[in-house]
Amino acid sequence: MNKFDRITPEGTRDALFAECTLRRQIENRLHGLFTARGYSEIITPTLEFYDVFNRDAQPFQQEKMYKLTDAKGRLMVLRPDNTVPIARVCATRLRDAKLPLRLCYNQTIYMVSPSLKGRDDEISQSGIELIGSDSRMADIEVIAAAVDVLRSCDPEYKLELGNAALFRTLIGQLSASETVKDEIRELMESKNYPALNDLLDTLEQNETVSVLRRLPRLFGGEEVFEKAASLCSCETVAAILSDLHDLWKAVTQFAGKEHVTVDLGMMHRTDYYTGMILRGYLSGYGEEVLSGGRYDSLISEFDYNVPATGFGVNIDAVVKVLSKGDTPAAELPVSNVLIWAAKGCEADAVSAAESLRAKGLIVEHSLSETQAEAHAYAAAHGIESVLPITVSKAQIQAEAGKDA
Amino acid sequence: MRPIRIALTKGRLEKDTVGLFEELGLDCTAVREKGRKLILPVGDGSIEVVLAKANDVITYVEHGVCDLGVVGKDTILEMQGKFYELLDLGFGRCKFALAVKKGTNFYSGYGVKTIASKYPNVTRRFFEAKGMDVDIVKIEGSVELAPLLELSDGIVDIVETGTTLKENGLEVFEDVCSISARLIANTVSMKLRQTELEALISKIEVYFAEKAQ
Repeated sequence: MNKFDRITPEGTRDALFAECTLRRQIENRLHGLFTARGYSEIITPTLEFYDVFNRDAQPFQQEKMYKLTDAKGRLMVLRPDNTVPIARVCATRLRDAKLPLRLCYNQTIYMVSPSLKGRDDEISQSGIELIGSDSRMADIEVIAAAVDVLRSCDPEYKLELGNAALFRTLIGQLSASETVKDEIRELMESKNYPALNDLLDTLEQNETVSVLRRLPRLFGGEEVFEKAASLCSCETVAAILSDLHDLWKAVTQFAGKEHVTVDLGMMHRTDYYTGMILRGYLSGYGEEVLSGGRYDSLISEFDYNVPATGFGVNIDAVVKVLSKGDTPAAELPVSNVLIWAAKGCEADAVSAAESLRAKGLIVEHSLSETQAEAHAYAAAHGIESVLPITVSKAQIQAEAGKDA
Repeated sequence: MRPIRIALTKGRLEKDTVGLFEELGLDCTAVREKGRKLILPVGDGSIEVVLAKANDVITYVEHGVCDLGVVGKDTILEMQGKFYELLDLGFGRCKFALAVKKGTNFYSGYGVKTIASKYPNVTRRFFEAKGMDVDIVKIEGSVELAPLLELSDGIVDIVETGTTLKENGLEVFEDVCSISARLIANTVSMKLRQTELEALISKIEVYFAEKAQ
């Protein structure tokens, strides 16, 4: 039988040295950005019951979750998402907490990726959730935080806005079977213009159908709103569009027009969003690095009816972009001082090291047998100074005792 | 900024795409005289062509190392993945079909059928949609052999003219779906390089629209 004791499971890997440093820097920077906005960190378990993610809209495919059972045979999963567990916490332990709640997190999610596609099954995610407000200011606060995150990673970032209610309203007006509606959704998401046209041709032609035909092509800068204005006489759609336009105007004021785009056909795979949706892109990474939006009905599925909005950042993606695909050259920290202790002086070496570290130096103990070996080691590793300790305090005291 | 990179499926789709590019006025000399090179400049150097196997075209586009790709719908259906499928390029037309030995009725009897195919995912989805359990055997080479050797009751494969089927005593029993070459795009490239990509895409669309008239 094969023994898999030398490799990590597909989609997972070990991170070494410089990559860990970079990862920690990014996580700390994001944590700083979030706490400076009044967000408090929460940690939820890696293991959750399957039922937590088995939601009405089925945002998570069963076969994409890592599953196991607990001691009582109940089905559990490694969390595939951070927002749903936070919704669970809000509806239970934080039910009586004063609103709004500002929560941030930094933890891994797990999903089964198609094999041999070079994708990660374990993804570190950092993000915020603003719970308890359906105001425009709440969305803007979240978007502003997203802009800050992206800007701190790459000055050439792009932020994209959309609204999940747009498609939901249109598809609701359509008289077609659920299967056809699902198919339209899929084709819209993959911007499959030819197949979408073919499918829409088979339906009764009306205004909704012609809007759906145009929708996936409507992405880009402010001109999108002009093109969309004449699209539809439906008041609900017009209201959503003008709302999104107002949001766009506000966001461009602090983010700059060159960084903000809009995609009216934007759709998220995780389908619990109800309003504003956003995505962030960095050049050099083939997928979005940041995604989120407003989810006003998710927490109510846990019997606590509060609106919420937020986003998550894929830390692994950011690490990849910032290290330009390359692990940054292994710049391991070099110690300043190497302390070598003669036999019997080990305890003195420890206290000497402590006092040097207190001064901010990196101090390493020499593990060599002889002092000469310690010097050779220091030279080979670029350590500036060697401190030999050949006499212990006990010996000194003993000597002093003799003299007296 | 690096040129727009287009991954082309080596072989016929590559030739058809080069033909299309030349109709659009893009200089493809480098691709025509490629030798063993796999990355080649096109036109004024603002476009670069990468030659790859069909499955790899999707992989490169999905990861964003190529912005666009030309690949058959057959590969897309088999591989799936996350990308935009923007245009039906019209060439490379053929179909997926279920073929059986001449004169047999595939659906007769109560036994579980065995299907041989190079495209197990397409096959699985086709029969899943019918609510039918089948055993699928993946074959790499000439799938037509499987029913002849009585390994399978039928095959799901690409059919162009049907000559190979006929010569081996097989016939199309049912069409699965039609196939043609598609232009696909990486989802992020489409957003970050929208102007450049849309310029090229609309050029192709305009060309097709004019040709259709």
